[in-house]
Amino acid sequence: MADSDEDFVLSSSGDDRPKARGGAAGSSRRSTRKSKRADGAPAPGATRREKWEDIQRSWDNVVEGADGSIAGTVIGLLEATKRKRLLRDTTPIQRGIIRHLVLILDLSSAMLEKDLRPTRFLLTLRYARDFVTEYFEQNPISQLSIIGMHDGLALRISDMGGNPADHLTALQEKAFTVEPKGASSLQNALEMGRAELYHTPTHGTREILLIFGALSSSDPGDIHDTINSLVEDRIQVRIVGLAAQVAVCRELVMKTNDGDDSAYGVILDEGHYRELMMAATTPPVTRTEQKSVPSLLMMGFPSRTVEKHESLCSCHSNLTKGGYICPRCTAKVCFLPTECPCCGLTLILSTHLARSYHHLFPLKNWVEVPWSEAHTSTHCWSCQTPFPTNQSQTSPIKIKIRKPSAAAASTSNGTAAPEKDRQQPSLLPPTQRYACTDCKTHFCIDCDIFAHESIHNCPGCQSLSEEKIKSRANMWPPSTKNGDIDLAAVGPTLSMRTQVAEATRMLENSKIAPGSSMEVDN
Amino acid sequence: MDKVDGTEHYNFKAPADLATLQVIILDTNPLAWATFEKSSSLSFPSALSQLLIFANAHLAFSQSNRCAVIANHIDGVHFLSPADPGTDHRDPGEADLTLEDLKEIAQKNASKYRVFRLLEDEVRASYRRLIANTTPEAVMASPNASYLAGALSAALTYINRICFGGMGGRSGGVPGEEKSNVNSAGGKVDETGRTMHAKILVVSVTPDPANQYIPVMNSIFAAQRLKVPIDVCKLRDSTVFLQQAADATGGVYMEPEHPQGLLQYLMVGFLPDHLARQSLILPTKVDVDFRAACFCHKKVLDIGFVCSVCLSIFCEPPEGAVCSTCQVKLDVASLENLGKPVVLPPKKKKKKKAIDSLPGSGVASAADSPARTE
Ligand SMILES: [Zn+2]
Ligand SMILES: [Zn+2]
Ligand SMILES: [Zn+2]
Ligand SMILES: [Zn+2]
Ligand SMILES: [Zn+2]
Ligand SMILES: [Zn+2]
Repeated sequence: MADSDEDFVLSSSGDDRPKARGGAAGSSRRSTRKSKRADGAPAPGATRREKWEDIQRSWDNVVEGADGSIAGTVIGLLEATKRKRLLRDTTPIQRGIIRHLVLILDLSSAMLEKDLRPTRFLLTLRYARDFVTEYFEQNPISQLSIIGMHDGLALRISDMGGNPADHLTALQEKAFTVEPKGASSLQNALEMGRAELYHTPTHGTREILLIFGALSSSDPGDIHDTINSLVEDRIQVRIVGLAAQVAVCRELVMKTNDGDDSAYGVILDEGHYRELMMAATTPPVTRTEQKSVPSLLMMGFPSRTVEKHESLCSCHSNLTKGGYICPRCTAKVCFLPTECPCCGLTLILSTHLARSYHHLFPLKNWVEVPWSEAHTSTHCWSCQTPFPTNQSQTSPIKIKIRKPSAAAASTSNGTAAPEKDRQQPSLLPPTQRYACTDCKTHFCIDCDIFAHESIHNCPGCQSLSEEKIKSRANMWPPSTKNGDIDLAAVGPTLSMRTQVAEATRMLENSKIAPGSSMEVDN
Repeated sequence: MDKVDGTEHYNFKAPADLATLQVIILDTNPLAWATFEKSSSLSFPSALSQLLIFANAHLAFSQSNRCAVIANHIDGVHFLSPADPGTDHRDPGEADLTLEDLKEIAQKNASKYRVFRLLEDEVRASYRRLIANTTPEAVMASPNASYLAGALSAALTYINRICFGGMGGRSGGVPGEEKSNVNSAGGKVDETGRTMHAKILVVSVTPDPANQYIPVMNSIFAAQRLKVPIDVCKLRDSTVFLQQAADATGGVYMEPEHPQGLLQYLMVGFLPDHLARQSLILPTKVDVDFRAACFCHKKVLDIGFVCSVCLSIFCEPPEGAVCSTCQVKLDVASLENLGKPVVLPPKKKKKKKAIDSLPGSGVASAADSPARTE
């Protein structure tokens, strides 16, 4: 991500916004390093440090194995990153399953930047395409609309609708053909989005996802009026910034999300961009302060027909063979879910409802297996990948920590207390096993991610009879109530979990967190 | 300058000719097979032999084709091939064999293609082991036991490992390590990052496990996401779950009329790989049952009422307008006009709404005259 002209800087702190931050950051970094050498590890609370001053280099904490390889640490770090995204709150919470979302794309000249490959514009459109597919896969009974910010105006790309094919065609025809130009206007786009969401029913959510590449907005009026009216219309706004944090965006997100600014993210790289954008495909948590009124919806479950001869569908007036018949007015539609064009009944299949159930009943998080429990399995239950077997083979006999600080000096006496070693982020090679708290089956990290992100089932629980699961109830790990794992109960894993947390922090600190980027006012 | 930075080739996708992984999910419930044999004269051993011929035919298509067999047994799901690495690999049947027998077997095997033999031996040995560990009491206790959801989940995780290198998840891979960025580097990887195609064949003799509706549906959606077709060979009792699985994933659904000729059905219906299937008319059941049943009376519905919070389906508005599943007080006011059969008021209302939201009423003007704020 770092520009090539930044390569000479030793630190990997990801100073990828040289324009925004200027040379000041560089000089302060140099001075930090000097002060660090003087007083050892940064003491918390001594003086208030800026976030970028606490530099943690991932290679400082690398543990060398007995054979001199760092493979164990590398695997540990990789798994920690993978898992970081996985550990989430699994308490069944109320989510807005029926959503109405306006996707606003920046099509201003700022999108011609090539800091994202090949250009911000092309990457954004590609991600937008993926977003549409993913959004409807996750929210089959929801609606979407796409708006562009182009040359100071809001450009309508697609209307509010539930058919992903319509949006994909619109993107192809209206967005890909546009040449990014001029300034972007937040106000115009937000007003258009607001108008679009104004008529949506009260039981659904009203959301705006804004992709903002520019650092300024040229608005015809006072944007704060628009923000206030968005709050009034209970519209939640999420923003993905492509350059740096902008004060007005932060305010916009805070005000429309009850003072919570976690929905505003500034991207670090392409992968992070995708992650931030795709985060919006998960239905939002319904806030305690009721944003939407729960209601009973009348829906039709049409039957599919097959015809010998083609007939016109009532939705597009296309000649099609077969389709779905509205149970109320017997009009034929060619695509589901949709609203019957004749009588207005919402037509869906039972499978569309089933698709959303996993949001309501999330799969519990699995726990990492400590070496003391690892002997019960030799391979991943569901993909048959062998696990690393013997602790003594892979783990270092003597842990060496390369740390150019006072902390390292104290442990280098050779006979340092083992307890002290454990408290440090001395990354032991992980067991690479993750256990379901219900069926106690061990899985690998890839199956863990796949089960939680795609299948939403535990393959182990689904493959064992209830008696068998009950008979395993007393095995490690202890069962958890649906919700987050009770750390105290897990006991032995605690050290592993703190290590993962530590490794995660290390990895994160090797980049500058989005929150710390410079504030640029519009 | 823009022409040289590779932007032009950005959407270029190289066609990839990949091998196929065939996963066979086989019901091994002894009681279900015994009942089925009475009515159809197809015994389990004979069905297994025919399945193995089918698997061999699949392996014969390409040297890099692979095959896995998963048993859906009365006490859970077991991998028959690749055999569970954690267990004893010896064939329990082998203990009784004399040296002479072994010699004879070795001679027979000598002329057999090694890949075929390995698969056959492994499946047969694992199956014998499975049966050896099954008590008659357990068989009688669970006449209809089926772990369809577990078997599908196991098959999908295995496919995820073999065909996607473990990266087939939703957002797949580590941040920054984009799937699509990897492919241009060459190697046999297609645009979705897969190194092999996969298909699942479910050979089923047990009825739908009704309590597994949500897990089965979840597995079906995961298969859909991975673009893995689920083929179904339903030998007994047609099932809604498997019909939906085949329909949603673009697989073949067949209920053989003459189960004795199973091999014929397998070879003609299920053998073609995804490339061949594009140019074939597949035998697929057309009228899939998609109707929903209400949560209150299990009545099959045409028109129902759905709670907007938990998506429970009811045949009539619940008492006191409180959802019986999530205990949320529901707004029935909006329902009152919709609840009646076709009457004019709701229609009118809809039409009005539609006109209001037509472009030009304030949406377009916001864009045309930037100075205007509502
Ligand atoms: Zn149509
Ligand atoms: Zn109708
Ligand atoms: Zn695995
Ligand atoms: Zn489990
Ligand atoms: Zn009912
Ligand atoms: Zn409910």
